[in-house]
Amino acid sequence: MTSSLQYEIQLRPDFSLLKVSLDQGQKVYAEPSAMAAMSPNLKLKAGFKGGALKSLGRLMGGESMIVNTFSAENGPGEVLFAPGHLGDTQHYRLTGGSLYLQRGAYMANSEGVEISGKWQGAKGFFSGEGLVLLKASGTGDVFFNSYGAILEIDVTGDYIVDTGYIVAFEDTLQYNVSVLPGLRGGGIKRLFFSGEGLVCRFSGQGKVWVQTRYVIPFLSWVDSFRPRKDK
Amino acid sequence: MRHQMLCQPAATALRFELDQGESITCEVGAMIAMSSGLTVETTSKSKGGSGGIIKGLKRMFSGESFFLNHFTAQQPSQSLLIGPTMLGDCVHHTMRGGTMIVQGSSWLASTPGIDIDTTWQGFTSAIFSGESMFWVKCSGSGQLYLSSYGAIHCVEVNGDYTIDTGHIVAFEDSLKFNIGKASRSLIGSFLGGEGLVCKFHGQGKLYYQSHTLPSLGSLLGPKLKAK
Repeated sequence: MTSSLQYEIQLRPDFSLLKVSLDQGQKVYAEPSAMAAMSPNLKLKAGFKGGALKSLGRLMGGESMIVNTFSAENGPGEVLFAPGHLGDTQHYRLTGGSLYLQRGAYMANSEGVEISGKWQGAKGFFSGEGLVLLKASGTGDVFFNSYGAILEIDVTGDYIVDTGYIVAFEDTLQYNVSVLPGLRGGGIKRLFFSGEGLVCRFSGQGKVWVQTRYVIPFLSWVDSFRPRKDK
Repeated sequence: MRHQMLCQPAATALRFELDQGESITCEVGAMIAMSSGLTVETTSKSKGGSGGIIKGLKRMFSGESFFLNHFTAQQPSQSLLIGPTMLGDCVHHTMRGGTMIVQGSSWLASTPGIDIDTTWQGFTSAIFSGESMFWVKCSGSGQLYLSSYGAIHCVEVNGDYTIDTGHIVAFEDSLKFNIGKASRSLIGSFLGGEGLVCKFHGQGKLYYQSHTLPSLGSLLGPKLKAK
């Protein structure tokens, strides 16, 4: 039996800050460097949670192998987490099912939740987002963050999302990676010129969370301002 | 077609509800997500309009992509989510004839009744404005969606209005402008960091943004590793 965490997400959606209030003895796990502030009675322990294999899975999923554990000792306390970049934070309550997270989206979780890497096979390879997604499963709370705001999409039937904008999705959804409808006939040339790259087609019943900005196009814009090496 | 602005102002996204047969033209790469009953067509011309390779090339110079994506609903009640590349707001402008001049990278989407072309703003204004030499010229009637870096403001110019050249998002071409110094002396305007300003006169709508991309770029650039 895991009790749910008491939390509050402040300053959404642009500068989101997650505040978790812990009772004595309660724990919360978070990715390294997410902590912004905490009560003095909280104890921080860094470690490889879940053994070598799980840690490696997290590494492959674009996260750190280390997970920080915050536990409240000698009374209640609170801790504040902030994402690394401008953006939103979203809470999801797991009740036995699983949630898939995009690379880098994981932020924090409560006791009872296991975070591991999940091999995506060829689907992952073609999505351009890495071969491994993070999988959160068990019973408890999980928090994930985005670049830009997060929008929740209730999928009933079919929905298409650009692979770069996916933040998380429920495992009740099936997905496959394809090109945009209408581009299919045009061959490979169309695919490159449309600029939309590959999309994920979700089907079934469940929720998908998307972010309103994508960091890669921003980075390629910044790249044009990089100084050139003198020859 | 209906539209809705979401998550304003820093990470604004646009949601469109399209009925069967309706379509919208978007900047390449702007799509976030969409229903499965929409099809995408990539062309170098406006939907059903003129254009072709020359207009496409001209658009490339203006900072927009060579190609445009047309989304068309094949089934009733389809939704489409789009967002610009940079953090910032979006704004919607209804066009009833006339022409709107849009800064190179601010054009996000428009309905099929609007023709998209580029325009040459003259040599001096290009060099001194720090912006791209070409601007996107939108004419016709329909809905036009613009994006900005930072917040976006609209002023109804009636008479004279002065604005820093880098902050212009779009303006109606009923406005005339000339490029001038911010302060009386040339040295004074450059020392003041304002460089050159755009002096508008006439009557019309002017959209401007709170921040400029070149200043972000010159702030970040020197801190990055040389390539």
